[in-house]
Amino acid sequence: MKHLNMVLLAGSALFAATITGCASTPQVNREASTSAIRAAEESGASNVPNASLYLQLAKEELENAKVLATNKEKEQAESMLLRAQADGELAAALSRGDADKKEATQAIERVQQLRQDNQLPRERK
Amino acid sequence: MKLIIYFIIIACVGLLMSCASVPPKELIDARQAYEHANAGQAAQLVPAELHKAYEALAIAEKSFQDEPSSYRTRDLAYVADRKAKMAEALATTAAGNATTAKANKDYQTTQTEIMKNTKEDLAAQTAITNNTKAELAAQTAITNNTKADLATQTAITNNTKADLATSELNGAIKEEQLASEQNARLDAEKRAADAQADLVKLAAVKEEARGLVITLSGSVLFASDKSSLLPAARDRLNQVADALLATKERNLTVEGHTDSQGSSSYNQELSQRRADAVRSYIISRGYPSNLIQAHGIGKDRPVADNASAEGRANNRRVEIIVDRADNHKESMNK
Repeated sequence: MKHLNMVLLAGSALFAATITGCASTPQVNREASTSAIRAAEESGASNVPNASLYLQLAKEELENAKVLATNKEKEQAESMLLRAQADGELAAALSRGDADKKEATQAIERVQQLRQDNQLPRERK
Repeated sequence: MKLIIYFIIIACVGLLMSCASVPPKELIDARQAYEHANAGQAAQLVPAELHKAYEALAIAEKSFQDEPSSYRTRDLAYVADRKAKMAEALATTAAGNATTAKANKDYQTTQTEIMKNTKEDLAAQTAITNNTKAELAAQTAITNNTKADLATQTAITNNTKADLATSELNGAIKEEQLASEQNARLDAEKRAADAQADLVKLAAVKEEARGLVITLSGSVLFASDKSSLLPAARDRLNQVADALLATKERNLTVEGHTDSQGSSSYNQELSQRRADAVRSYIISRGYPSNLIQAHGIGKDRPVADNASAEGRANNRRVEIIVDRADNHKESMNK
C-alpha cells in the first residue's frame, strides 16, 4: 500500500510538470537585465548620448530575449539576456561617469574661480 | 580525374576549417576593447573590473574554441566586449573622482592660503594702521607743541607789544618831559634874557669873568653915610629884584663899595651894612636867602678916580654879581 502511494505521488508530479511545460513559455531569469536597465535609466543614461546608445541596445536585447523565450529558445534567450544586462550596466556606468566628469569639471572651475577672485596665481599642474 | 576530385575535397575541407577558425566580429571587438582598456588607466585605477573583463574574454575565447560559430560564443564575446568597455568607463569615472577629490583638496588648500594671506594682509594692515596712529599721535603732539610754541610766541609778542607800547609811552612821556624841560629851559633862558634886558635898563650891567655884574649907584640907594635904603631905591631894587627872581637859581653876591674918603675900617663897615641891606631887601622880595651873600669891600676896588666928585660918586656903589650858571653848578657840586 505504501509503495502504491509513492508511485501515485511520483506520477502526479510528473504529470504536473508535463502539463506546466506544455502550457507556458520557458521561464528565464530577466531580473538582472531589467535591474541593469532600470539603474541606467535612473542614472540619467537617456540624457547622455554615449550611454543612451547602450541603454537602447539593452532594451532591444531584452525584447529579443522575450521573443526567443516565447519561441521556446530558452538557452538563446538567456544568452541574449546576458547581452542586455551587459549593455544596461555599461549604460549606467557611462551615465555615472559623465556625472562624475561634470562634477570634476565644476570642482576645477570652482577652484580656478576662487583663485581668480582672490588674485592668486593659477594652480601649477 | 581522381586527383582533381581529391584536390577539390581537400580545398573544401580546408575552406571549412578556415571558416571555422575565423573569430566572430563580437570576439574581435572584445579583444580590441580589452587591449584598449588594458593600455589605459583601467589597469591602475580599476584592476578588479579589468580582471572581470579578462575573465569574460577568456570564457569567450574558450567558447570560441569549443563552438566557434555558435550564438553562445558571439554572446559571450559581446559580454566580454562590454566588460572591457565597462572597465574603461569605470576607470574614467575613477579618474574623474580623483580629479574631483584633488580639486576639492585644492579648494580647501586655496581657502587656507587665502585665509593665511588675509591674515597676513590684516596683520600688515593692522601694523600700517598702528604706524599711522603713531604717526598721527606724533603729528598731533608736534601740532600741540607748535600750538604751545605759537601761544608762547603770541604771549611773548603781546608782551613785547605791551613793552613796546609801554616803551613808546615812556618814550612819549620822556619826550614830553624833555620837551617840557626844554620849554622850561627856554622859558628860563627867555626870562633871564628879559631880566637882563630889564636890568640893562635899570642899572649898568656888564659881563665879567666873575659873572653878570649889576652896578647900582650908591647915591640912588642910600643917603650919605647911611645904610638904610632910600624910598626911591626901593622902587629901583624892586625892579632889579623882579629881574633877579627870573633867575633865582643863580648865586648872587652883593658887594658894597665906597669912595676913598674916610677910614678904611669905616668904609669897610659901611659897605658891609649897605650890602647887607640890599641882600635883605632882595630876600624880602622872595629870593632864596641861601643863594645870596653880602660882602663889604670898602674903598679897595674903585672903578673911577676918587680925586673928582664924579669919580667918587661912581665909586660909591653896590654891585650885584649874578654868578654864571657854570660857577653855580660847580659851587652846588662842591
